[in-house]
Amino acid sequence: MNDVARRGILAVPALLAPLMMVGGWLGHAEQRLKANDPSAAEAEVAIASVSEDAYCTPKLKSIVRRVAGACGLLGGGGRGCQPMQAKSVAQLSDEDFNALFVPLEQRAQIIQFDADQTEMDGAARAAVEKAWADQRGASFFFVVARASPDGKTEYNEKLSADRAQTVLSHLQTRFNDPDIARQVGLLWLGEGFAQLGEEFCGWQRSRGTECTVKDINRSAFVAWIDCAI
Amino acid sequence: MARRFDEDLDLASERPDAERDGGRGAANDFPDADRSADRDRGDDLDGPDPDLSFGAKPVRVPLAVAFVAAVAGCFFAGTSTADFVAHLDRQVHALHCSVVPGAKAQIGESGCRAVMLSPYSSWFRESYWGGIPVALWALAVFAFLAYRLGHLTWRGQPRRSEAGFLVAATLLPVLMSGIYGYLAYAQVGAICTVCAGIYVTSGLTFLGSLAALLMIERSPTPDVHAVRRFGVGVAEGCGFVFALSLVYLAWLPDAGGERGPAGCGALVQPEDEAGIMVDVARVPGGKPTIEVLDPLCPACRAFDARLTASGLDVKLDQRAVLFPLDSSCNWMVTDSLHPGACAVSEAMLCASPAQAKVILGWAFANQEALLAEAKADEPKLRARLKSQFPEVAGCLGTPVAKNKVVKSLRWAVANALPVMTPQLFVDGTRLCDEDTDLGLDYTLTRMLQGGAR
Repeated sequence: MNDVARRGILAVPALLAPLMMVGGWLGHAEQRLKANDPSAAEAEVAIASVSEDAYCTPKLKSIVRRVAGACGLLGGGGRGCQPMQAKSVAQLSDEDFNALFVPLEQRAQIIQFDADQTEMDGAARAAVEKAWADQRGASFFFVVARASPDGKTEYNEKLSADRAQTVLSHLQTRFNDPDIARQVGLLWLGEGFAQLGEEFCGWQRSRGTECTVKDINRSAFVAWIDCAI
Repeated sequence: MARRFDEDLDLASERPDAERDGGRGAANDFPDADRSADRDRGDDLDGPDPDLSFGAKPVRVPLAVAFVAAVAGCFFAGTSTADFVAHLDRQVHALHCSVVPGAKAQIGESGCRAVMLSPYSSWFRESYWGGIPVALWALAVFAFLAYRLGHLTWRGQPRRSEAGFLVAATLLPVLMSGIYGYLAYAQVGAICTVCAGIYVTSGLTFLGSLAALLMIERSPTPDVHAVRRFGVGVAEGCGFVFALSLVYLAWLPDAGGERGPAGCGALVQPEDEAGIMVDVARVPGGKPTIEVLDPLCPACRAFDARLTASGLDVKLDQRAVLFPLDSSCNWMVTDSLHPGACAVSEAMLCASPAQAKVILGWAFANQEALLAEAKADEPKLRARLKSQFPEVAGCLGTPVAKNKVVKSLRWAVANALPVMTPQLFVDGTRLCDEDTDLGLDYTLTRMLQGGAR
């Protein structure tokens, strides 16, 4: 056989085989590319969002919405919140009001105050900071301040309102975070509404000391609420 | 006693015994046989050496070995090319990653995937989506070598110049194997077993060709056509490479739209009110980019390497938003995909801009160790961060640091980003996911030219 013929017999398939294979692979890739809808795959990826926990009952959401609305927290206002009387906002019985917050046991801190005082000690400040830093996907931070039943009702109402304000002031000083004006809702209860029972002594408190019903109500209950409003 | 070379040839059996003993001179006594030999040679340029002065050694054996190695090289290079081409549909596919022919493809992470996605797997990436795979050229070269080796094995009687050309030609894949083996080991840090098959077959084709060359004795008369023959060989080899490249570029899949350069979505609140963006590589005058990343995410590290290797990073004014896929701080993931990422993110947000970049580099460099350590004992990782970067020790773990991580995550919420990393925003426009690996250079180049809106 002629040497040129030998070369041709070998060269042609040596060149054509890879050409045809590569052409085939490319053709299949193009078919798949045209058949694919990349946006469909994107639709399957979760989108970053705020939390919406199971404890967000309609009642709790209703209260959060009222407080947030009254404080100008909704709609991107962020004008900052003045403490509000919980009784007028909640429109619930004492027991129902407290029951709404029971699921927050792991999220909440109870900031304790000395009797007749609005200043926070070091442990109380640390507890507030810890609670604030644990925002995760929550949208609203509630401060619900109380007073023990000692003394006059009007005095205790002002005392609890001042305690709520103290917590807010500390957050502003410590974090200088513009979100504080957008996300913090303040409520005060005074002595006449939704007093905490002794069972709340078992929650995370700023003081590890002995706890009575009076002690636990000289407090501000702080927690992020994982509800999307 | 040495045998004549003809004894190794098929054509020798077609000739009278006297020709075997007498070489060309003896053939003159048998005119018919001489004509037959002339037909076999075809012409003076390509036919067997009429002097047959290279002794009687079984030169076909090393040529056959080299031929088989070249065919095997075609198989490995073809497999690698097919795997690469499959990804031109912008999807993720299983890869063949075994030296065993016919072994099943694997969908998970492998050395082959790391190498394929590395910037070294293809060329001209800025001009064509994915570029031209090196494996395609390897396929062309092996096909050419298989043809040349097959021809000499079949015909026999190779001249020294022909064998010399084969040695030179097989040096190319050997050289490329050396370079790519080094890059895979030193730069990519992964071994691609299909590539290893290419390296081995490259070596065998070279050794077979070299052995054949050494077995052929020098002709007493100079080979006047050696240079021309070498030139024809080079031209043929280049022709193989050119033909395959041409077909590849002609049939390269076209998405049919400009989704890539136009991007996939835009930031709605790009501002950094909370001061959570980290400087990655600030380039005054560069295109503003924001990368959403997790310091312990292997895909982010690989993306960073690809971006650097592309050379386009010098045109980007890069900042990053940390998005640790670690459930200890990120409520959007149920499992910690990258345990310890929250701690490293805290450290970066505690640090100065320059130091944050150092921490990111350290986290990328030690990713596997940090992930393993955090999975076993997260506080131990925090202690390691404090000892490694004492300047952040007072901040790490504090409410302020944790709050910054939350703010970082909430930046992603505000922009309704997909829960994934990495993501790159070029002037506020998101680079599509399918363009973050093989198509990065192509798409980013176009986005930088003004495609990004």
